[in-house]
Amino acid sequence: MKILTPTPQTLEVTGLIELGAANAGQVRDAIRAALKPSHTTLNLDLSTVTFLDSSGLGTLISLHKSLRAQNGAVRLIKPAANVSQILELTRLHRVFEIVNS
Amino acid sequence: MSHFRSHTPQPAYRQSLQLKSACDFAAVRETAQFARAWLSSHQVTAAELDQWELVLVEAGNNAVEHAPESAGKLPLVFEFSVGETEVEARITDHTPGFELPEQIDLPDLESEGGRGLFLIKSLTDHSAYLRSAGENQLILRKRRSVPVHPAAPDALALQRQLAESEIAVNEMSEELASSYESLVAMFRYSAELGTNADLPEFAGRLLADLLSLTETDAAVLRLFQGSRLETFLVLPVESQPRLPSLEDLDMSRSVELEAVKTREDVWLDRTHPLSPADPLRAFPGALTGLVHAFGSGVHQLGTVTLIRTRNDMPLRSAQVNILHTLIDFLAIQIVNTRLLDERTQSRITRRELEIGANIQRSLLPVSLPSSSPFELAASCTSAREVGGDFYDVLRVSNEGLLLIIADVMGKGVPAALFAAVLRTAVRSMPDLFTNPAALLSAVNRTLCEDLSRVDMFVTVRAVFLDTHRHRLMSASAGHFPLLYCQPDATLGSVAADSGLPLGIDPGAEYAQSITLFPAGAVALLYTDGITESQDPSGNMFGMERLQKLLPALVSGNVPATKLRDKLLVALDAYRSGVPPTDDQTFLVLRHAL
Repeated sequence: MKILTPTPQTLEVTGLIELGAANAGQVRDAIRAALKPSHTTLNLDLSTVTFLDSSGLGTLISLHKSLRAQNGAVRLIKPAANVSQILELTRLHRVFEIVNS
Repeated sequence: MSHFRSHTPQPAYRQSLQLKSACDFAAVRETAQFARAWLSSHQVTAAELDQWELVLVEAGNNAVEHAPESAGKLPLVFEFSVGETEVEARITDHTPGFELPEQIDLPDLESEGGRGLFLIKSLTDHSAYLRSAGENQLILRKRRSVPVHPAAPDALALQRQLAESEIAVNEMSEELASSYESLVAMFRYSAELGTNADLPEFAGRLLADLLSLTETDAAVLRLFQGSRLETFLVLPVESQPRLPSLEDLDMSRSVELEAVKTREDVWLDRTHPLSPADPLRAFPGALTGLVHAFGSGVHQLGTVTLIRTRNDMPLRSAQVNILHTLIDFLAIQIVNTRLLDERTQSRITRRELEIGANIQRSLLPVSLPSSSPFELAASCTSAREVGGDFYDVLRVSNEGLLLIIADVMGKGVPAALFAAVLRTAVRSMPDLFTNPAALLSAVNRTLCEDLSRVDMFVTVRAVFLDTHRHRLMSASAGHFPLLYCQPDATLGSVAADSGLPLGIDPGAEYAQSITLFPAGAVALLYTDGITESQDPSGNMFGMERLQKLLPALVSGNVPATKLRDKLLVALDAYRSGVPPTDDQTFLVLRHAL
């Protein structure tokens, strides 16, 4: 996993392979540690994520709340079909902006 | 994850698999991935594989989260059964359990938890949670969108593999799309997957096709046997050089080991020449080529090397794609072949344990002789894996009863057979029934050679109850002390009678102790399955606890059968649902008031 700051307002996370019970807490803490008050967009690149479970969903929600507290938002970038299905099944596509292109 | 079992019963189409997973998130994840690979080999569609993988992780994680510290080390058991129209999974946990509501609603959109059970319910067609003391089972069923038919599993396998090949083909370059031969080869191999093809033959044809499709001149297939990478096949057969083994080499001297180590393809060309020690030097004139390490999931299976001697053109990307695709087929076939071997082996082992259990059960007396006012009660609880516990009670004309309890070290058929031999040997020496020490010496002389030849031994306690003089004569061959309670419920144990187990020394002699056994006294003969009963934290019941328990049970004028039941209840309560790991056998002898 890589955490980058392409602009002062944007935090970008790439290279995640799985987001599940075994690593969800770690991922959440790492991203939170990198989050600065100036950040208003968190781009989470999901294109490399092959597995997402309910603990991973919990991490997404938790990050969503962190960003909203500073008037920002989480954007989920290019989730694979199986990951999209889980987001839709749990209605979380209503919470996040999902970027498919 | 450990402990793999799988079998295929004869009637209809049904395949099953059992996996054990340690009770932690990482192990659950790995188990779900393994289950996914197995389900995939039974033509479950890709979309359903994604769903099953998630459902299994959610179910396993739920158990991990609910597991109390004390039960943390008890593994989860995942059992799968795949039928023509449905897949069923049963997940057994050792937690206090939870309520599985009929209807599960999504939590508030911004809640960080509470979606696991919702996902399980949503992605399966049927779910039920059966709770019992210390052990619960989550049963999940899901219809298959593409049913399989027993008569035509190959046709469906073909269909699925064709779909997968299609994806692979789409990803390939334009050049490949025009390569009719490559497509034909891929469809042909995908059609063969899952059939019981002979692996060397399958691999031989596949490599020969690879040589022609990739315009290369030699191929080497090496497969892991345990941790060693060994040569499986070299083509062309007619002009193959003697290929040295990779033993004692490291990645700096073997490109094949380099590919395994780095898990990346290694290209051979002028800029990356072979080390002088590299076994591939055996191919004269090797100009260019590629080493591809392959595996299944996280497990590495081996390497394939293609070598070109006709010119020094590197392999084109389309040719590399063909190599990867065909080797993926080979990997599936290798895993299938190994699963089949393992299945056969586990079937033999289980059958052996069943036969052992049958023999062992047939040896126990159907009914116990009584000799008023002396009462007897016995219990023999078999563990899942049969040990070699055994007991016998024989009437000695008008003089009394001979009680034998024994534990043959080992399990399965050999242990059961020795229990049978021991039973016969004892029964053939009626003259010695009133003298347990002499009986054990004589039985030991008879059995010692046979036992020591197979490194087995038996612990035995023999007790003669003299019904006239109201006393016990006892001898032990390495067996646990005889516990007895006097009428006033004070405990005594016969300590001075321990000898070597049968099967150690043909000349072993045994001491004999004599104990008065007046009205109201109780004696207990038992095997280590009793003292080694474990509670959910893995603590053993122990001798001390048994010694404390016995006087408490005996107080009051309680018949032997009642004493037996009380002891069973106490052991059950101690285990709190943990299944016994060894046979639990004991005999209660009581002199009624």
